[in-house]
Amino acid sequence: MIPARFAHVEANDTLPKLLRYNAKHHADDIVLREKEFGLWRTFTWADYHERTKLWAIAFRSLGIGQNDAIAIIGDSRPDWVASAVGAHAVKALSLGIYQDALDSEVGYLLNFAGAKAVVAENEEQVDKILRAAGNESALTAIIYCDPRGMRKYDDPRLVSRDALLDAARKTAAAEPALWDSLVDATSGDDIAVLCSTSGTTTHPKLVSITSGRFIRHAATYCNLVNLGPDDEYVSILPMAWVVEQFQALYQPIVCRHKLNFVEGPATVMADLREIAPTFMLLAPRSWEQIAANVRAQMMDATRFKQKVFDLGLKLGLRAVERGSKSGLAQKLVLRALRDRLGFSRLRFATTGGAAMGPDTFKFFMAMGVPLLQVYGQTELGGIYCMQKLGEVDFDAVGTGLTGDYKLRIGDADANGVGEIVASHPYMFSGYYKNEEATKADMRDGWMHTGDAGFIKPTGQLVVIDRLKDLAALSSGERFSPQFIENKLKFSAYISEAVILGDKRPFPAAIVCIRFPIVSKWAEQRRMSFTTYSDLSSRKEVYDLVAGEIARVNATLPEAQRARKFILLYKELDADDGELTRTRKVRRGVIAEKYADIIDAIYSDATEVKIDTEIAFQDGTRQRIRTSLPIATLADAKPQARSA
Amino acid sequence: MPADKSAPILELDNVSLRFGGVRAMTDVSAKVYKGELFSIIGPNGAGKTSTLNCVSGRYRPTTGRILHKGVDITRLGANKRADLGIGRTFQNLALFSGMTVLDNILIGRHHLMGAGFARGMLYWVGGAQQEEAQHRATVEEIIDFLEIQHIRNEHAGTLSYGLRKRVELARAVALKPEIILLDEPMAGMNLEEKEDMARYIVDLNEEWGMTVVMIEHDMGVVMDLSHRLMVLDFGRKIAEGLPDEVQANDDVKRAYLGQDHGVAGAPAGEAVT
Repeated sequence: MIPARFAHVEANDTLPKLLRYNAKHHADDIVLREKEFGLWRTFTWADYHERTKLWAIAFRSLGIGQNDAIAIIGDSRPDWVASAVGAHAVKALSLGIYQDALDSEVGYLLNFAGAKAVVAENEEQVDKILRAAGNESALTAIIYCDPRGMRKYDDPRLVSRDALLDAARKTAAAEPALWDSLVDATSGDDIAVLCSTSGTTTHPKLVSITSGRFIRHAATYCNLVNLGPDDEYVSILPMAWVVEQFQALYQPIVCRHKLNFVEGPATVMADLREIAPTFMLLAPRSWEQIAANVRAQMMDATRFKQKVFDLGLKLGLRAVERGSKSGLAQKLVLRALRDRLGFSRLRFATTGGAAMGPDTFKFFMAMGVPLLQVYGQTELGGIYCMQKLGEVDFDAVGTGLTGDYKLRIGDADANGVGEIVASHPYMFSGYYKNEEATKADMRDGWMHTGDAGFIKPTGQLVVIDRLKDLAALSSGERFSPQFIENKLKFSAYISEAVILGDKRPFPAAIVCIRFPIVSKWAEQRRMSFTTYSDLSSRKEVYDLVAGEIARVNATLPEAQRARKFILLYKELDADDGELTRTRKVRRGVIAEKYADIIDAIYSDATEVKIDTEIAFQDGTRQRIRTSLPIATLADAKPQARSA
Repeated sequence: MPADKSAPILELDNVSLRFGGVRAMTDVSAKVYKGELFSIIGPNGAGKTSTLNCVSGRYRPTTGRILHKGVDITRLGANKRADLGIGRTFQNLALFSGMTVLDNILIGRHHLMGAGFARGMLYWVGGAQQEEAQHRATVEEIIDFLEIQHIRNEHAGTLSYGLRKRVELARAVALKPEIILLDEPMAGMNLEEKEDMARYIVDLNEEWGMTVVMIEHDMGVVMDLSHRLMVLDFGRKIAEGLPDEVQANDDVKRAYLGQDHGVAGAPAGEAVT
């Protein structure tokens, strides 16, 4: 049921209609800000509306119409959202592509969706599109926003955004009734958004979502967390992700909160501080990164400052345990820290996509940043399960947003663990051009998520792992590698961990160190090292990580404890296919790529020789020749080894 | 940007430079055309930096002439040459380390600022404020171009070497020169920084239309980027032409491989680089 506050969305159930409504009633209110040339440029509803109108007319002039796909690739910018809404206005489908996607990924999505046009931010993206989309693709227009570097191309499909929108401006002036007729023709029941799934195993699937449902979903969420025109949001997550489209494309138009675009990836923290958003969402990794950066910076501070920081944090954490707040800690450290990070106006913050360590949780809670866990899937329109303020539970992800959002556990075992099955009125309409997959996952109106979990007595959902990722030791004992990995990643020194052990006698770990922290740690001990590879092969670092693993082992049942581990010579990277774009481990790729290392771990060897090449983003390659020691944990019983 | 070969924008006419008994340059003649990316290469002590210093006005040739668009500028001071649109960067960094990146680049605009001491005192009423805002806009354009937004407010002294080089380029570009002289813009950089810098230099030349005269040791970069180049050895020009021609030149090979030189011990130009 749509809350009364958002009754107007019933009659305006597409983004173009709702945008026109807002432009009519709140023309001069600010909705977008973009930092460019060192200044925040503002866009009112009238500006946003006008820009969108031009995009729609431009698409129409390119012969794009109902059910044609328009891809958008680039950083979050006003033109990202304006072109997406413009696409919807000509009844086309908007398809966001991750700006750091590789050629092959871009090519796959463009060709699978049969995209007729693509809006590309800059030369980097145009390079990829031209390499990836063959001449046989349906692509008729590549619209570039930044002309820099375009001089070298003569591909006839290239069009400059400015020229295109200038022409649209003339058309709009000549045909004043055109826009309204386009907007009136849109329908909330039509598919508007194509959104790619993360694709942990294969090519991503495209999820079709109608605007009517997505808008009502957003209205429900905005009502629940009480978002309105006074709220500020900074878009830093990739726009291609369903959650960011929810928060940056739909939410502002539904509840009129302000949306800010940062200058560039490198200025995020500074820009965040200037805006001081009232709510934000980051992946657990990013929260952990922020906490780790604070710690790393404190390592550089003077002894006195370190003491004050430690004291303030201790008092703050103790207060959190008691469920209260320490005024002294706030004054000494935490208020200044909150301001420094740009969190001074934060009403709440959400974290989702993976588990987060209790230490990180408490760190932010001590700072006065209430962190709520959320859970969702692309198919279910992103977030549909969330903790309410005050419901602190480090393991769980809360309950369905409202009574309309239903959850149950399918095929639960004796412990209540089974597949998470969910349904709500505003979910996806099916996988694009993939009826078979839709039938497999959607049965009787329920989405079978493929995630394993259970529901606590408190009613909160706990997510364990992907069902198919649950592993079984050769002894038959089942366990969740991800559950152990997450516990390991809570350590400040470990950035990534992969737990092995499926059909093996015992679990073992491949670990990547968190370079900024470990390198500081090494500096403090006057260890000299050159590169990541060098540092992670040091005995001292092995000992450090062994201690961290031993701590995690102590919390696990005997059989699930990692007995051996190695520190990998490089960080896992989405560009190497080892992680998905949302940074989930691709186990198949790891098993194949590091088969030698894995075999060595489960043999009697004490080290494994590495001779490999790693490719850098700029295309250069570096040969790595080293030997990785295989460490056996002291307290674990040696099984495969006789010595 | 295609070079305009009708008349040289810069010409060295039989330039020689002596420091006492040391002959840094001997009868060097060369022409640079508008829109060209022209490189000067040569072994250490060949007189490359001396050549650049003669053009920018830091040194005055002992004999010979420097012509800018056909006008003799040999006797003109360095600041007057800046007025003509000749800007430069230095081999060794010359930034104000206690100032922010933004201020360092704004200094590059100082030459173009009209407000003097008196109007500066009357900042709000004398027009100095508006003028600063205009210059700031140009500086921001350069910051955007060189992608240094994230260090805008950092002190120059705290930056990595590669970034400081980029800031120095920004400051030279801030003058909006017609000809920019770059002294080893990529020295001491890692591969990634070099590639970025190469792209900025090509963009300066092709998109901003600047004529670039560059000294660089990295042969890969020089051969890739330059339209034409000149090779110096012991203060003398031993070759000039297209990259392919120069690479095939026997004198150049000898100079670089050190074969058959005839002169034993320290070469004459060693004292000055």
